[in-house]
Amino acid sequence: MTTTPATAAAPTTKGRDLFLVANTVDELGGVTAWAHQMARLFQGNGHRVHVIGVHEAELKLALPDDRGYPVTSLYAKHPRTPRPVHGLGRLNVVARGRESARIAAKRRAVDRLSRLFRAARPGAVAIVTQVWPMEWIREADTAGLRIIGMSHESYAYTRACHRYRAVKRSYPDVDRWLALTQEDADDWIIDGMHNVGAMPNALAHLPAVPSRREAKVVCSIGRLADQKGVDMLVDTWALVAPQRPDWTLRIYGAGADEAALKRQCTRLGLDGSVEWRGRTSDVPGVLAESSLFVQSSRGEGFPLALMEAMASAVPCAAFDCAPGVREIVRHGEDGLLAPAGDIGALADRLLRLTGNPRLRNAMGERARVNVQRFSEARVLERWEALFELLER
Amino acid sequence: MSTPELHDFSCVVVAGTDADALRQSVASVLDQAMGSVEAVLVDPGTDGPARAAARALAADQPYRVRLVRAGGPMSAGASRNLGLDAARGRYVIVLGDGELLERHACRNLFDAARTTGADLVAGRWTRLTAGGRKEAHPDWQAQLHARTRSVRDLADVPELVTRDALVTGFCVRRDFVHDRRLRYAEDLAHSEILFGVEAALGARVITLVPNLITTHRAAPDPARETSALAGAHDRVAGLLLSLGRIELCDRRERAFLSDHVLPCVRTFPQLTADERRRVTAGTVPHLEGRADVRALSALDPVERVSVRLLAEGDTEGVLAAAYALVRPGTVVSELTEREGKVYWRADGLDDPRTREVLDVSELGHQHQPPARARLLNRLTRCSVEGTRAVLEGHVVLPGGLVPDRPPLTARLDVRTRGRGRHGFRVPVQEAHYDGGAVVWRATVDLTARLRDLGIRDRVWEPRLRLAAGGHDMSTELVAEQETVGNARGFTVTGANRLELRLAPRHRAARTLRAALHYATHFRPARKVRLRLRALRRRCDRLNGRAVKLRVYRRVLRRLPVSKGSVVFESHMGACYGDSPRAIHQEIVDRGLELRCTWSYAASADGFPATARLVRRWSWRYLWALGRAEFWIDNQGFPHALAKPRHTTYLQTWHGSAYKRMGFDEARLKTQNAPQRERLREAVDRFDHFLVRSEHDVHTLARAYGIPEERLLRCGYPRNDRLIAARARDEAAGRFPRPPVAADLGIPDHKTVVLYAPTFRGGPPKNNKPVRLPLDVREFAARFGDTHVLLVRAHYMEAAELPVCPPGTVIDVSAHHDVSELLCLADVLVTDYSSIMFDFALLDRPLVHFAPDLDAYETERGSYFALRDEAGGPVVETQEELLRVLAALKQTDGAWAQARAAFAARFGTYDQGRAAAGVVDALFGERAGDSGKKGGGA
Repeated sequence: MTTTPATAAAPTTKGRDLFLVANTVDELGGVTAWAHQMARLFQGNGHRVHVIGVHEAELKLALPDDRGYPVTSLYAKHPRTPRPVHGLGRLNVVARGRESARIAAKRRAVDRLSRLFRAARPGAVAIVTQVWPMEWIREADTAGLRIIGMSHESYAYTRACHRYRAVKRSYPDVDRWLALTQEDADDWIIDGMHNVGAMPNALAHLPAVPSRREAKVVCSIGRLADQKGVDMLVDTWALVAPQRPDWTLRIYGAGADEAALKRQCTRLGLDGSVEWRGRTSDVPGVLAESSLFVQSSRGEGFPLALMEAMASAVPCAAFDCAPGVREIVRHGEDGLLAPAGDIGALADRLLRLTGNPRLRNAMGERARVNVQRFSEARVLERWEALFELLER
Repeated sequence: MSTPELHDFSCVVVAGTDADALRQSVASVLDQAMGSVEAVLVDPGTDGPARAAARALAADQPYRVRLVRAGGPMSAGASRNLGLDAARGRYVIVLGDGELLERHACRNLFDAARTTGADLVAGRWTRLTAGGRKEAHPDWQAQLHARTRSVRDLADVPELVTRDALVTGFCVRRDFVHDRRLRYAEDLAHSEILFGVEAALGARVITLVPNLITTHRAAPDPARETSALAGAHDRVAGLLLSLGRIELCDRRERAFLSDHVLPCVRTFPQLTADERRRVTAGTVPHLEGRADVRALSALDPVERVSVRLLAEGDTEGVLAAAYALVRPGTVVSELTEREGKVYWRADGLDDPRTREVLDVSELGHQHQPPARARLLNRLTRCSVEGTRAVLEGHVVLPGGLVPDRPPLTARLDVRTRGRGRHGFRVPVQEAHYDGGAVVWRATVDLTARLRDLGIRDRVWEPRLRLAAGGHDMSTELVAEQETVGNARGFTVTGANRLELRLAPRHRAARTLRAALHYATHFRPARKVRLRLRALRRRCDRLNGRAVKLRVYRRVLRRLPVSKGSVVFESHMGACYGDSPRAIHQEIVDRGLELRCTWSYAASADGFPATARLVRRWSWRYLWALGRAEFWIDNQGFPHALAKPRHTTYLQTWHGSAYKRMGFDEARLKTQNAPQRERLREAVDRFDHFLVRSEHDVHTLARAYGIPEERLLRCGYPRNDRLIAARARDEAAGRFPRPPVAADLGIPDHKTVVLYAPTFRGGPPKNNKPVRLPLDVREFAARFGDTHVLLVRAHYMEAAELPVCPPGTVIDVSAHHDVSELLCLADVLVTDYSSIMFDFALLDRPLVHFAPDLDAYETERGSYFALRDEAGGPVVETQEELLRVLAALKQTDGAWAQARAAFAARFGTYDQGRAAAGVVDALFGERAGDSGKKGGGA
């Protein structure tokens, strides 16, 4: 249990108390980055923010020192998974000891959470950014607190995994359950949830220098993991490369599948036109050197990579694998979408965009304008409207 | 309007007569997740418990419940208007009698209204079912509210005004209501229908949300409400017409018939004669001028006729039609045949417009032999005097069905319900023709032989059996409740079936029965029953797939191999056919010392008696698979079953590929890694994979990642029969036809057309059969005299075929072996099913009928362009297909070359010796003398 106190002066008193609760506060990952981004925004808007994580991560993210809000972890390391003892297992003294220690630790964590919540002023809101922390919040004293649950993945993705049951168990009674898009929200409503709303992720910033789209480079940024579908991208490129010999595909990112993907690339004879660039920390810089962005994921939530590309005025070709993708890219207006998994169609989109500079430029410019509907200011407005709605 | 907004929402609740319902409605408003909601309670205007409850509620929470006092009793519309006048919220919801608001309803509506600026936001609502316990929503609602959307033009969401969608579950902006002067019509019984339509027509922006808004709406009561609903409908239709929205008005008329009039007709058998007359009298004026051909065109024949009869005021006719509606396929009227068409009745056929409405040829009654016809047998009298019951009835028997009217004999067969093992017969004293019907009378002695033979056999069902000439007809007895009344021993079920329920008469028997009832129903007995049921569930779980899989993995597949045992399966056990059958046949013909086992999915009918038969997923199946030396299958043994180490797996596959398969398929590509890994493991089980051309090597083998050394280039054993047939054709001609022709009753002079479309979706949903793209009725009408159409649906689907004249259309979906049918067919009509590759080997005409070819190609993806490489004409409309079929003899010559190229490209290795080759390759030394036998499968 650690609390890092706020390092900068707490701002004005007009805002409300906000708790952002996640699995961890310092993990290297999208949801944590999102939580700190929102914490910074809320803080800037005059709210008192407290970021709470269930446990401290092993692979740590360096938190900025001047963040201005406290950060708390309930456990020092990942808490034990519940293993209730029953039947003959009750004879196992060690297991019983472990289980009661786990329950006691949970009790302590819940009490700590309750103390934090009780200290909040009226009108406070807890935003549960991931499904798991609800296990603690459910047991804590949340009187006078409004609770907003969030899903950071598409409905279909949650539906296919174990989180679905957890959502249906813990979230029908919270004040609001937020999906990433209205389409996902509709799916949850049809599934029988009544408290559903939609809230997009925010685009962090608009790069000052957009891409001029002159280099004959297609780029892809993402972990080299199965979910990102880079294998399908390589297959797609095998259809595109012969017709566009002067174009290059740059793949940024690292991951477990790297070796296999490189082998696949060599097997397809694409080594001449594919560059493996590894992980990058300068996304705007990379995008400024590219003319096209391609995403071939198997599943997505509300992909930041697409928004960043569009903010750099780089048009996107992507698999339409989730409502979030359709929400960000308007097919035919500021990018091109292909049916999920249809390699021929994605290759066709790439050929259209690589072969037509006017189309590319028009879409790129429109993308930079259109993506600003997810700017931090706009998203913050929607959050404020939501807080106000829950007070009515 | 200048009154300030004090709340976000005002919910108008009109107090009816039920105080409890009122309290619940108001509680649902006050319990809203959103706080700024007031309830505007309109007092009923008369003293009673509801008024007292309303006052108490208002006194309890004066800031959130406002009572509006009515001067005296007034209509529902007037009360609601009082509520609307008093509302002070930004948005207004009006709740109907007893309706409840979902807890988050106001917040969801408010959110949608605020973000879209809509005047009207509508969500889902549910109503009680007839039983009063469950809730259901109207079936059109799911489609209407599938997604959150805003509309500005009603033409985009016609259902909002054509159906009674806006009767509850929506909110309107109060300013909008006052600006437009929207008010409920005070002289109308269902004024909410008109109000909803007026609001929708006036709103600038309407937002539809999928959220559930209100529940507990009163269950529909068609018999009572229809005339009042028709009154409201008339006003709505008039309004739409006056606004020039003719298209909407037309759709509304049609929706009114299917939503209100037909449900009302369906209740007729449950009503008394008086009620029926009253309903007819109440509806006739509204249906005047509405029951013409144009309005009825979208309905089924029986529905069409029943609306027509109701419009004519023919109560008895409507009752009969209602029986036909609830029991499809029943003959309920004296059908008349004229100029090849069949009409419901003989009256009024001179008017061509009436004739069109009464045309019921589609039902196919004229093609049904009397023994198969379902005849309506209505009880007209049922009286019990002492121990004797007199039953009289009336069986509809159209003249066309038994034209020569031979002498009749009849008897009543009475059997226990359910298994029907016990039964007895009662002679019918009197049965004679009476116009287009048979009238009968029987006397049943209720004591003599009628005793229940088992404790459970207390309910008996009589059926009337009529024998006339050579025809034997059996009919169910139906009756209205009124006819039977409380005749002792007789009851009528909810579906109007007549039942005989015997009660013991003597004291001893009564006591015995009471004792038995007590013994089986008192509390410990009930508990024992529950325990037994739980035990049975536990046993069932032991037989479940999870346990079986675990036992298979840990035990069965580690058992020692049973040398010489082969397990066959075709299409996941659906049939005894395809290549596994041909291989099995070859094994039997050669007399190899192998023990063959066949797996079947549902029924063992048609499977060979010589082989051991096991049901798919049974313990015996798993045992056989775990110990077998060879697995032979054409689609895949269950993926979860790992292959034992000692087993050799021959995957014959079930057809060359046109559409993208395996890992070439977009659906599979987007699956996550574990799912794809599971398929990869399943495919890795194959030791041999049959291919019939290099096309297969490039498509199937590559798509599934099957390495070169596992491919057996010897063609499909199932096609040996086709090669042999072609050789015979060339040597001796097409006749005599194979014996299957005689089994199916196909005469030699008819051309046999086989129609075999491909798989178009998943297995049938809700038991609803798939609709074929081809209208077989039209085929029968055009080609019935010269052709016979064999229809084979895909093995994973079931097709529904309309009744056609005998000998024109035959459903062969259940036939085990497609190759036999291919040999029989003179022409094949298919879309892009892999059957086309096989049929091409026969060198007979082939027509591709693919109305959705382009859509399918885009969606699923294909390996080659069918139009460029087809072995026969590719047609897209039914008209074109029929034209091609008519001119086949003249045009077919032009296709001979393309067909030969098609066959050569896709069937290179099909040389008629596949089965022999496979057996040689697989069983090696055991196969011995294959050289001598030739392609003799």
